[in-house]
Amino acid sequence: MTYHTTMSRLRQLDSRFERIFGTLLGLGPLRLHRFGHDHDHDEPASDVEADVLAEVRERAGDVHERLSHEHDVFAVELAGSTGGGKTMLIERLIERADEGERIGVVVGDVTGEDDAERLRAHGVAVENINTGRECHLDPMVVAEALDGFDLEELDTLYIENVGNMVCPADFPLGANRRVLVVSTTEGDDVVRKHPMLVQTADVVVVNKVDLADAVGTSVERIRSDVGAVSPETPMLEIAAKTGQGIDGVVDVLDESRTEHHSHRTAPPHHGDDTESNHTGDSGH
Amino acid sequence: MHELSIATGILDRALSAAEAHGADRIEALRIELGEATHVNQRQLRFCLETSLEGTIAAGARVRIDEITPQAACDCGWNGRPQTLEIALSYAPDVRCPECDSRATLVRGRECRLASIDVPDEAYRSTETPETTPTERQT
Ligand SMILES: Nc1nc2c(ncn2[C@@H]2O[C@H](COP(=O)(O)OP(=O)(O)OP(=O)(O)O)[C@@H](O)[C@H]2O)c(=O)[nH]1
Ligand SMILES: [Mg+2]
Ligand SMILES: [Zn+2]
Ligand SMILES: [Zn+2]
Ligand SMILES: [Zn+2]
Repeated sequence: MTYHTTMSRLRQLDSRFERIFGTLLGLGPLRLHRFGHDHDHDEPASDVEADVLAEVRERAGDVHERLSHEHDVFAVELAGSTGGGKTMLIERLIERADEGERIGVVVGDVTGEDDAERLRAHGVAVENINTGRECHLDPMVVAEALDGFDLEELDTLYIENVGNMVCPADFPLGANRRVLVVSTTEGDDVVRKHPMLVQTADVVVVNKVDLADAVGTSVERIRSDVGAVSPETPMLEIAAKTGQGIDGVVDVLDESRTEHHSHRTAPPHHGDDTESNHTGDSGH
Repeated sequence: MHELSIATGILDRALSAAEAHGADRIEALRIELGEATHVNQRQLRFCLETSLEGTIAAGARVRIDEITPQAACDCGWNGRPQTLEIALSYAPDVRCPECDSRATLVRGRECRLASIDVPDEAYRSTETPETTPTERQT
């Protein structure tokens, strides 16, 4: 459905509901009972209330529980724009893995197996998720994909999200770290355009710095925007194609890996369901 | 466009809550939507109203209240974060105005079914009231 049809359908619905309410009101006051709460948040929650986004965060907490607590797998999500270089960065990270490191990859793609094939060529276990209509991964589909691995046999899991700079902000996946991959070819206002996704990242990677001059993008401007939008989030400059800067990414991830066990969010089992946005937050 | 799956989640919850309270009709739903989410209010309304069709909530009134973000900092500060000036779309400024370190959002990221209204007769057939009866407000 195009945006235009959606909007005209919306307007029709609006007027239809106005009509219905006109009729109801014409019948005189209708006595109703309200379950749930009004505006006072100090009331105890009733059985009606349900926060669907908090539920998504809880499911992400379950993924974290399963990966980190039960199987000691270090999970890194790569989110970012379409074509920004997520797959290529994962390939570079696989190439630099320690001897004997057992790696798995979950790849989200709207259609096809292209990225999955590229990654399988590196000899790692890959589960492909075709999201179809959904424009982002969610922790429920990640949990399903995990069934395809023997988690006891994994040390590291990379999760490539669908190229999307918007939705993943509302859908944490339960990885220990979220790496946001943007590239210089998207222009230097990419951080200003998508501030809330940047705020959910633990590391921002600016890829394709080899092209920065050619496309007239100021990496320094991206850096200062990251500082303003998401204070304390590190930003790295890389060129996945040439290998420039990959060591820095490896170092940042290794640091997180060696923390007792790392959380990018405070999962529900450790307290409340609010997100602690702090980089390096290490729970317990 | 994940508003559809979110709408489905809200509707499921509303239907099971109505059933739990012995109601066979839902007249209204109120949703609280945090401003610091990417759920589009109009799209959510559209998806919800469409999914209500054919259920006991068909034609129910949908009210969506926007929830202003609240942040808290380890230093003890809490309050309403400023809007980030440099951003080209809405985002809260998560820098603590007191100590400059990073604050945490404690509200503004929710998409919550807050209440449902069911007709009086349905209610009378259920046991003890948990909330005081309220009249429809316009
Ligand atoms: N010049 C240059 N090109 C790059 C660099 N990194 C990736 N590319 C190219 O950018 C294109 C996209 O890279 P991918 O790794 O497939 O990007 P992606 O983010 O996985 O893309 P999707 O999965 O489709 O969202 C490919 O043609 C890469 O060769 C880089 O550092 N410099
Ligand atoms: Mg890819
Ligand atoms: Zn934990
Ligand atoms: Zn989405
Ligand atoms: Zn502070």
